Amino acid sequence: MGDEFESDTVVASGNQDELIMQQQRQIEREISESTALVGDLEPIASLNNEYSNDVVYLEKIKDLASKYKYMRRTRPDGNCFFRAFTYAKLERLLDNKIDFANFYKIVEGSKHALVELGFPQFTVEDFYDTFIDVLKRLGDIKTATDAKKELHTLFNEQGYSDYMVVYLRLLTSGQLQRDQDFYSCFIEGERTVADFCHQEVEPMYKESDHIHIMAACAAMNTGVRVVYMDRGTSKINIEHDLPEGTQPSVHLLYRPGHYDILYL
Amino acid sequence: MSTPARRRLMRDFKRLQEDPPTGVSGAPTDNNIMIWNAVIFGPHDTPFEDGTFKLTIEFTEEYPNKPPTVRFVSHMFHPNVYADGGICLDILQNRWSPTYDVSAILTSIQSLLSDPNPNSPANSMAAQLYKENRREYEKRVKACVEQSFID
Repeated sequence: MGDEFESDTVVASGNQDELIMQQQRQIEREISESTALVGDLEPIASLNNEYSNDVVYLEKIKDLASKYKYMRRTRPDGNCFFRAFTYAKLERLLDNKIDFANFYKIVEGSKHALVELGFPQFTVEDFYDTFIDVLKRLGDIKTATDAKKELHTLFNEQGYSDYMVVYLRLLTSGQLQRDQDFYSCFIEGERTVADFCHQEVEPMYKESDHIHIMAACAAMNTGVRVVYMDRGTSKINIEHDLPEGTQPSVHLLYRPGHYDILYL
Repeated sequence: MSTPARRRLMRDFKRLQEDPPTGVSGAPTDNNIMIWNAVIFGPHDTPFEDGTFKLTIEFTEEYPNKPPTVRFVSHMFHPNVYADGGICLDILQNRWSPTYDVSAILTSIQSLLSDPNPNSPANSMAAQLYKENRREYEKRVKACVEQSFID
């Protein structure tokens, strides 16, 4: 077992892996200094600043603003889908005690299900405990307004925030492996679903595709609407509900390579 | 101060003591839980057999979301170990998963000793001998094994 770089020019004394990782860390540092893990609510029009000379995008921002009031940015660190999705889902649940309690039950049963699928109990437990701890802390707060403030605080603490992301990644991986007959047709190349999960789903900072979103929705029993904003020539943004035909409770904005949260 | 990384490392340590995998051991250094010393015993039926190879593991506050830096302190002759002791192993780089713990890291390195990957060489001499001259490869490895008794 070695890594996947196939290079004939490795210098015997130089440790290239470390140089690459050092450079990666530098880039990550720059991103983390400029963007919060999860930002404050902003009006949709705040997107205009990023595209002031871009006719295609300005038109699409107009379309977006006709349907959504606010957005909330997430840090572009490869975890943005998982972080945005979990945050938006929990934020929504805080408005309804019954939905919250039902969700709590789903999460409570999830650790056992993962262990049954062959996930290592010892490490899964670590992330599960934090996820449940966050749910308990939020559930104990009386008003939704205060609970949402706490949610925002916790999701901007790297320790909590990343553990929440990891646990959703594990749940997503579990869902993919449980229904592998279905998901295997979406995986390109010769990889098995389990390999795909180990390489593209479980590791932090790996970006999400359609398949991750489908499985995450199924694992969290949640419908999501993704609004795609790109350089396509249509004047309106394309919307996509997952799973198809469900009433979405989470709305996400996708711009190539990145997800943010949207508010009606 | 207790951070997620430190808390998790205490758990890893406890597990390693209570349920130690065969042929590996590890513990935090006396005054710093972020730096560990570890030993991997050379696997049976490989040229590394009988060797006791020392390593250091350095964690950051981002553990277990990012892998630690693992390095052999003992001199190694292996296709995937750099001259400075650094290890070329996918799970310590781009295929790291937060579900790995110290036990999993050490047992993966142990199996790397049994099954080198000569197509991804960190030591091109070792990789070449492994592929083309297994006898000489084993001779060089055995020298490391003997060296490991003295270290």
